[in-house]
Amino acid sequence: MTDPGSPRALGEVILAVDGISLAFGGVKALTDVSFDVREGEIRAIIGPNGAGKSSMLNCINGFYKPQRGTITYRGKSVHQMRSHDAAASGIARTFQNIALFKGMTTLDNIMTGRLLKMRTNFLLDAIYLGPAKREEMRNREFVERIIDFLEIQAIRRIPVGKLPYGLQKRVELGRALAAEPKLLLLDEPMAGMNTEEKEDMSRFILDVNDEFGTTIALIEHDMGVVMDISDRIVVLDYGRKIADGVPDEVRRNQGVIEAYLGVAHA
Amino acid sequence: MEFLYAITIGPFVQIAQDPQFFLEVLVGGLLSGVLYSLVALGYVLIYKASGVFNYSQGILVLFAALTLVGLIEKGVPIWLAALLTILVTTAVAFAVERLVLRPLVNQAQIILFMATIGISFFLEGLGQIMWGANVRTLDLGLPSGPFIVGGVLIQKFDLVAAVTAGVLVTVLALFFQKTAVGRALRAVADDHQAALSVGIPLKQIWIIVWTVAGLVALVAGVMWGTNLGVQFSLALVALRALPVLILGGFTSVPGAIVGGLIVGAAEKVGEVYWGPALGGAIEDWIAYVLALIFLLFRPQGLFGERIIERV
Amino acid sequence: MAERLDRTTGVDGEPGSPGLDTFPKLLLRNAKLRPERPAMREKDLGIWQTWTWRQALDEVRAIACGLAARGLKRGEKVAVIGDNRPLLYWSMIATQCLGGVPVPIYQDSNAAEMEFVLQHAEVRFAIVEDQEQVDKLLEIKARCKTLTQIFYGDPRGLRNYVEESLYSLAFLQDEGRKFDAAHPDFFLATIAEGSGGDPASFYYTSGTTGQPKGVILSFDNVILTSMAAIRFEGLNERDEALAYLPMAWIGDNVFSVAQAYCAGFCVACPESGATVLQDLREIGPTYFFAPPRIWENILTNVMIRMEDAGRIKRWLFKTFMAHARRVGTRILDGEDVSLGDRALYALGGLLIYGPLKNTLGMSRVRLAYTAGEAIGPDIFVFYRSLGINVKQLYGSTESSVFVTIQPNGEIYPDTVGKPIGDVELRIAENGEVIFRSAGVFREYYKNPQATAEAKTADGWMHTGDAGYIDARGHLKIIDRAKDVGRLNDGTMFAPKYLENKLKFYPFIKEAVVFGDGRDYAVVLINFDMSAVANWAERNGVPYTSYGELAGKPEVYGLIRGNIEGVNRDLADDPMLASSQIKRFLILKKELDADDGELTRTRKVRRRFIGEKYGALVEALYSGKATCEIELQVKFEDGRTGTVRPVISIADAAVFAPRAGAAAPLLKKAS
Repeated sequence: MTDPGSPRALGEVILAVDGISLAFGGVKALTDVSFDVREGEIRAIIGPNGAGKSSMLNCINGFYKPQRGTITYRGKSVHQMRSHDAAASGIARTFQNIALFKGMTTLDNIMTGRLLKMRTNFLLDAIYLGPAKREEMRNREFVERIIDFLEIQAIRRIPVGKLPYGLQKRVELGRALAAEPKLLLLDEPMAGMNTEEKEDMSRFILDVNDEFGTTIALIEHDMGVVMDISDRIVVLDYGRKIADGVPDEVRRNQGVIEAYLGVAHA
Repeated sequence: MEFLYAITIGPFVQIAQDPQFFLEVLVGGLLSGVLYSLVALGYVLIYKASGVFNYSQGILVLFAALTLVGLIEKGVPIWLAALLTILVTTAVAFAVERLVLRPLVNQAQIILFMATIGISFFLEGLGQIMWGANVRTLDLGLPSGPFIVGGVLIQKFDLVAAVTAGVLVTVLALFFQKTAVGRALRAVADDHQAALSVGIPLKQIWIIVWTVAGLVALVAGVMWGTNLGVQFSLALVALRALPVLILGGFTSVPGAIVGGLIVGAAEKVGEVYWGPALGGAIEDWIAYVLALIFLLFRPQGLFGERIIERV
Repeated sequence: MAERLDRTTGVDGEPGSPGLDTFPKLLLRNAKLRPERPAMREKDLGIWQTWTWRQALDEVRAIACGLAARGLKRGEKVAVIGDNRPLLYWSMIATQCLGGVPVPIYQDSNAAEMEFVLQHAEVRFAIVEDQEQVDKLLEIKARCKTLTQIFYGDPRGLRNYVEESLYSLAFLQDEGRKFDAAHPDFFLATIAEGSGGDPASFYYTSGTTGQPKGVILSFDNVILTSMAAIRFEGLNERDEALAYLPMAWIGDNVFSVAQAYCAGFCVACPESGATVLQDLREIGPTYFFAPPRIWENILTNVMIRMEDAGRIKRWLFKTFMAHARRVGTRILDGEDVSLGDRALYALGGLLIYGPLKNTLGMSRVRLAYTAGEAIGPDIFVFYRSLGINVKQLYGSTESSVFVTIQPNGEIYPDTVGKPIGDVELRIAENGEVIFRSAGVFREYYKNPQATAEAKTADGWMHTGDAGYIDARGHLKIIDRAKDVGRLNDGTMFAPKYLENKLKFYPFIKEAVVFGDGRDYAVVLINFDMSAVANWAERNGVPYTSYGELAGKPEVYGLIRGNIEGVNRDLADDPMLASSQIKRFLILKKELDADDGELTRTRKVRRRFIGEKYGALVEALYSGKATCEIELQVKFEDGRTGTVRPVISIADAAVFAPRAGAAAPLLKKAS
């Protein structure tokens, strides 16, 4: 395996978050947070519970509109991005509480991830003819590669609602991958998993990054896993950025240690 | 005593005495049930895609039939009239999405339900303004009259209606299972939020669903209109599909189809064999009684999603 | 050996005869005789891909020439590690083309286990499936001096590996094609140099004690034995099999390679280990092998599904299965059955048996085997009553699999059938089963002492099993000869026989019986988690884990009932009546191969367990009602620690032998 600790040559900035502040009513979720994500890296956003990690992801994804600050994605400011536009522009994500179509099969779920890749007109596609059918075949082939990649052949035809949690997480990753994202946002990909499942998921994340060259931004509160797989790490605490750097730097950062050990804030 | 006999044993004796006639009644009932299935299907489609019980489905049936008849009366050739009617229903779908659903997105279901009541009043009024309130006959030149298969008398028209409905249902089933759009529709029906996050355009989905529901309504309207004449009571007949939904379950396409067949058969068989003892015209309420029984013993319907309470 | 030579030539013109005495030669024949018939299938990206014999030859040729180009010499060993994949099967044949010897290794072995085999067999090249195996090999490569090059099939995750001498099989085949173009005569010439007496492959047997032994089988061993079984059963090129058991197990090699190459039939590889049951359904093999454990799992799945089915369906299933148990096996065995019963059975076929066989993927099965361990008579009869011709066979790695097979029409659940082909079978004076056949292995690699212990100079193989030949000429196995002991009252004590009887109960997964040199028999129990969890839910017994269930008095009651059932059976057998189990306990942890308690093939290591859980065994022979034991455990996050669970001990009722009762060995089968 490649040594994840060694710094790799970093690519262009694909996503820049600049001075983001977000509040719900009087509660400040994020205060003046800035960082960037570079092409091809695995970028982690960590922090104790309630640090504002999910809020950050939801801002990038367009679910929340920050009151202040800008998010620049591939050179364009996306302050007004809607979640549908985010998907269309190459950002795919998974959710902490798995948002799969429970009644549909694994295959169908991942196929829905291809919807935005369809070049024929969405309305005309309803008439399942010639080009639409060929496109469907191409999409199916792509999805089969993902199924093979994630080693979920055995559950291809099973409604995802019947699958155990760890597998659902994997299917959701598959659906996100089906969109061939430029930027993949993972919201606590290992939450609620046992050690073995975490190891599997870590391997898949590394493999996705390696095999497809996908840039990955992930939120996680399990520090250990993050240290092993991330290129660079942002640490949030109480909505503020308290550290940013490669795993070794973050590990040694006094502020991070205090935040995680729960030392009282001044 | 006599009454008890007439409702418990008598009918079965009659059935046993002349099974051929019973078969005839049954087949007639099943075939007419096909139309209930179609209307119920319209309800199910919209319910699945948006979680809304669309009160205006009945008016949609009437409105589609009315438009078709009106156009034909104006001397438009039948094929062109059919095409134009399809365009009009599509336009209605667009308008409903743009003017009603989009502004009300994320509102409570009851509000959306009220909105569909509004839509039905609007369409009813629009239909009257455009085409007047007279009863019209609809004659598309569909075959009529009886023919006999294996000693059983069957109405040609019923058969045509059943075949048409069968084809429509098959096409819809293929559309849902095999195409990308069908998959998107199922995804939306399954989980709105998740559908949004993978970038499924909800608006387009709604337009498609309402268009399809309109198409189904058109077919139902044509068939019924041919039988009963195109008039405003058609919209009320459509409400007879409600028991079908309770039987079949609100979320199940096969349920809508089977439920329709059961209601159709129960109406005809009930009327012929039990009607005399109960004073006749039971055709009008027997479906509701069936629905009531179902609500007591199987509230999720025949094929509805099982309601499982886990402790 | 001289005496054996005349026996090792096969029938002229048939596999095993001089021109067709190696797998590469058989491949050439098949590519010529049936070039367009399917040889191999594999599901890739959800679609079944098929290779004909002609295409298979092309693939093998490219790998063989590639290995030659990379310097593989006659007699050198090549490790093959991975799931059942066409490329790995072809790699084995390609190695044999060059006179090299493939050494398949269990794909779930850990690095240390692999290291032993690689060193012991002086493996020069390794051909593996994927990154997982590559990682293990790289970990130990420095200590395996002979290992010079590694080839892998699936490049995923290996892109950034910078190790020298690590290549993809695709690259190897490219090199091979170039080499072939430059040396067009090489391939056929090198195949012609091989002959039937050459070692075909090494099979490392896990063994219940000590280090694994490398069994050397010659082409003659495997091909002649396979042909004997093919003739016995009438297999032909229209058959189809699914290769899903470990390639490192001789059985897979015989069913999926030897017999396929001899008879010319097609072998399909599953998409992944987890999809086997689905693949089975899609392929619909005609020839199927499964160890008892798998037959059992499939049946359990069926039963669980039926519990959830509607009332009518359940009733139909029960009614027709009862009918099938009554007449199904007799119809399959060609006995007299009344017309009415036949008609009812046909109706059942339409409604239940047919659809059931279809969902199991066994509609087309005309020959199925089970072996390795005793199969529960209930399970065995269930499948046979459905019309699936599953039979027991007896054999071992050292015998190239087949020694005895149950002949069609002579199926007795308690025997393993009659010797096939030229097999000579005898019971030695100490009760051990010994035999002589063309399949008896050449030797254990670098272990003449073990070889001498296992087979006599004139070729008689000691099986280590105790058994006898019954009046019908069928072999019946009781236990491992070395395990058969004596109770203090001097009566025979056969622990494995008792364990198997216990394991026939669906709630009992593993049982370890002790009693040799003791006053009475006792047992440590592992219950079947899925079966007992299901039972617990139905009976309102709350639980969170295996460990918790293991302590429940209700579960003790359940298991006690099973044990007393066995005791009742034993009471009817004068030989074994004193072996009734007096005391038992349920272990708080499942026995695991990773902890050394089971072999990789999931056989119980009785001696090891006896030492590890010695305190428990002693407690079973004391009057105590509970016992504590200190255990090393591995937590889910990888840490290790010790726990001291308190385990309760329970008594089971024993029964007085019934006077004059004949021993109904398989009461439950009726």
